[in-house]
Amino acid sequence: MATHIPFDQVHAPEEIGDKTQRKLWLEVLHEWVTTVDHKKIGMMYIGYALVFLLVAGVEALLMRIQLAVPNNSFVSPEVFNGLFTMHGTTMVFFVGMPILFGFGNYLIPLMIGARDMAFPRLNAFSFWISAFGGILLYYSYIGGSGLYGAGSAPDVGWFAYAPLTAKVFSPGHSTDYWTLSLLLTGIGTIGTALNIVATIISMRCPGMKMSRLPLLPWLYLVTSGLTFVAVGPLTAAQIMLMLDRYLGSHFFDTQAGGSAVLWMHFFWIFGHPEVYILVLPAFAFANEIIPVFSRKAIFGYPAMVAASVGIGFVSLSVWAHHMFTVGLGAAENTFFVLATMAIAVPTGIKIFNWLATLWGGKIQFTSSMMFAIAFLFQFLIAGLTGIMLSVAPFDWQLGNSYFVVAHFHYVLVGAILFMLFSAFYYWYPKMTGRMLSEKLGKWHFWLFLIGFHLTFDFMHIPGLLGMPRRIYTYEADRGWMIWNMIISSGAVVQAVATLLFVYNMVWSYFKGPEAGPDPWDAWTLEWSTPSPPPSYNFAETPEVSSRRPLWDLKHPDDPDTDYEIGPSHRKRAKEESA
Amino acid sequence: MVLALGVALLLTGMVTSIVVSILGVLLTFLASVGWFRQVLPDEAHQPVEVHAEPVPVFTSRRLAAKLPEDVTSRKIIPVETFRITTGIRGGLAGGVAMAAPAALYGWVKYHSIWYAVNLLAAGGFVSWIGASNAFLSEFHLRGLLAALVIHGLTSLLVGLLYGAMLPMFPRYPIVTAGVMAPLLLTGILHSAIDVISPILNQRIDWFWFVVSQIAFGLVCGFVVNLQAKVRTPQFQALPFSIRAGIHSDIHDRLHDEAADTNGEDTSR
Repeated sequence: MATHIPFDQVHAPEEIGDKTQRKLWLEVLHEWVTTVDHKKIGMMYIGYALVFLLVAGVEALLMRIQLAVPNNSFVSPEVFNGLFTMHGTTMVFFVGMPILFGFGNYLIPLMIGARDMAFPRLNAFSFWISAFGGILLYYSYIGGSGLYGAGSAPDVGWFAYAPLTAKVFSPGHSTDYWTLSLLLTGIGTIGTALNIVATIISMRCPGMKMSRLPLLPWLYLVTSGLTFVAVGPLTAAQIMLMLDRYLGSHFFDTQAGGSAVLWMHFFWIFGHPEVYILVLPAFAFANEIIPVFSRKAIFGYPAMVAASVGIGFVSLSVWAHHMFTVGLGAAENTFFVLATMAIAVPTGIKIFNWLATLWGGKIQFTSSMMFAIAFLFQFLIAGLTGIMLSVAPFDWQLGNSYFVVAHFHYVLVGAILFMLFSAFYYWYPKMTGRMLSEKLGKWHFWLFLIGFHLTFDFMHIPGLLGMPRRIYTYEADRGWMIWNMIISSGAVVQAVATLLFVYNMVWSYFKGPEAGPDPWDAWTLEWSTPSPPPSYNFAETPEVSSRRPLWDLKHPDDPDTDYEIGPSHRKRAKEESA
Repeated sequence: MVLALGVALLLTGMVTSIVVSILGVLLTFLASVGWFRQVLPDEAHQPVEVHAEPVPVFTSRRLAAKLPEDVTSRKIIPVETFRITTGIRGGLAGGVAMAAPAALYGWVKYHSIWYAVNLLAAGGFVSWIGASNAFLSEFHLRGLLAALVIHGLTSLLVGLLYGAMLPMFPRYPIVTAGVMAPLLLTGILHSAIDVISPILNQRIDWFWFVVSQIAFGLVCGFVVNLQAKVRTPQFQALPFSIRAGIHSDIHDRLHDEAADTNGEDTSR
């Protein structure tokens, strides 16, 4: 049987095997660089994000060493400014988004029974332009000049408030590196989002109606929609900032009639939906992993879809809760307080449904599931501190304190990173054909859990005691030292756990037991392909009749079609009653 | 990749050298031409051999079977419930009922029915934090509108909650809706009110607050219970014999089925 796929996806290992070692590597390199295969692009996204994760992790460690004791001068204040700017920018733009888009790229066509993304070439372009954005950002360490000429990397914070970014306060090119790299990665992000939407809308296999679409593609659809709306304002703001810096316009120059608050609005119109752009894919992983390891179908599929769409909409109207301390006025504050609180409702529905999925299930405590369970509880705590901060008077007291830092790290690490680790343990066998070591996985989980709680539970306390974020050092009499020491110790434990995870991935790639096509006895279409899947994904286009097509295949006596309430079910019920 | 590199170099030139931008323009042009030639007039394809090897489908479980049911089983999802509008009606009715004791409280204590209204609204107005009792006893349109929005929305949400929860506690609806829920809600608010509205926390009279909560609960619960229940989609999933009323005892029927499949893996 022969079929046609884009010509860059040639997959002929037996031919490569006959050639010399040098040629093999060149061919492999050429194949990866020129590929338009969604799986390879997905893995490149993930690989490049992991590299940046390690880099940003090292930056975090350096900051924690600096803050571990009072009056420390482990790094200079200028370097410290660069560290927190690069850490934040890298984690959001060059770790979070690429790694989540990487998983989406890899999984969505497989889960909907398609052979590739809708626009494979655009897919490759989007990856590479995002990657070059990251490289450009870090090139600033070599080629840039920073605040007052003291450093080289961008050092204006990851949200780069005006007027700090004005030429007079940020001479040289350090801020330009930040702006340009975000512009580049923004192009890639929109390209990938476009691809995801087009793929899900138009390339689903026969029988896969939207009501049968697995929840992962559903949530990526919402995420991509959010990306369209959110990244535009950021890109616009970057262009305006470039006009200010290069051509002398005054969009953000308050002394010349511009507005610094305008930048804040532009940035946070992007910035808060961005949180949901990052967390919705984490929810998507939970939607796939928790049911499989609970041996139950997801509880409340329609409610989960509705809640995801609801979160998408509400998240677009909460951005100014980042700006309570600006003094927006009572009416604006009230609106954004209420909108922020309202988002807890669909989020609460999700948590309830995950718990209901676990309830009465035959839970398998694999490494993947343990990370997912930890995610559930940590995300709940992160949500609760978010509700606290959504109350304007509370935010006036604790805005820009370490309490805020603890809150958003609880979301980004406690929820998103934990769910990413869970996803790695779950889909690594599909991507590589090898199982990750469960023993190392459990070590990784417990160490990371302990490290996480040491760091981020205790980080709330110095925040409550008044420690501001981005502070370079502090006096010994503030009473913050013991808390900072604990926080820094936790960071080291997390670093050790992460190294263990990296070791596990490398070791398992070569020595891990073979996975087979479906090691978890799962139910979605990606598990019906060999591990790793061939370049064409499916030799024959699959056809589905329920949300869990593999369940139907495995249990023809008891298919999901009999249980899923929908038009076809109602029709059959009517026929029965007739 | 070449196009991406071209665009990246084009922008990189802005922080390095014009030569880099020129190289970027060149690469962008060449890559664009290459891309267009690949997809126009027809998209280029290359045949690839497909190995249609069957992927083994297996499951680690034995045959699936239905859960053995008994009266305490959680598997039966309600086949009847309230309409969503029931909760809305109950919430609005409760909200109106709640206003009566609140207004009475204002009249008795401050000789003004507007006191409770303004006190509720004060949480939304920073400038009202230090307002005097006399100020809060006066009529303020702003206060009335803010209080209407806050009270209306809260009543609506609590009404929806009642509509959803009352079928879960069918035995003593009046006790649940009129006493238990108001006391529970009052306890939660007592611990959280300082964060939500410090001014309300300073001046609230908890006795009158409980009275108005009970008024809300009783009326809301009464209105919700008055409404007819509707059948859920779950009802459609029941066997025809049960839907038609021929076989009325679903539990007995499922027990019989469970007996046939005893010993098998029942997880689903």
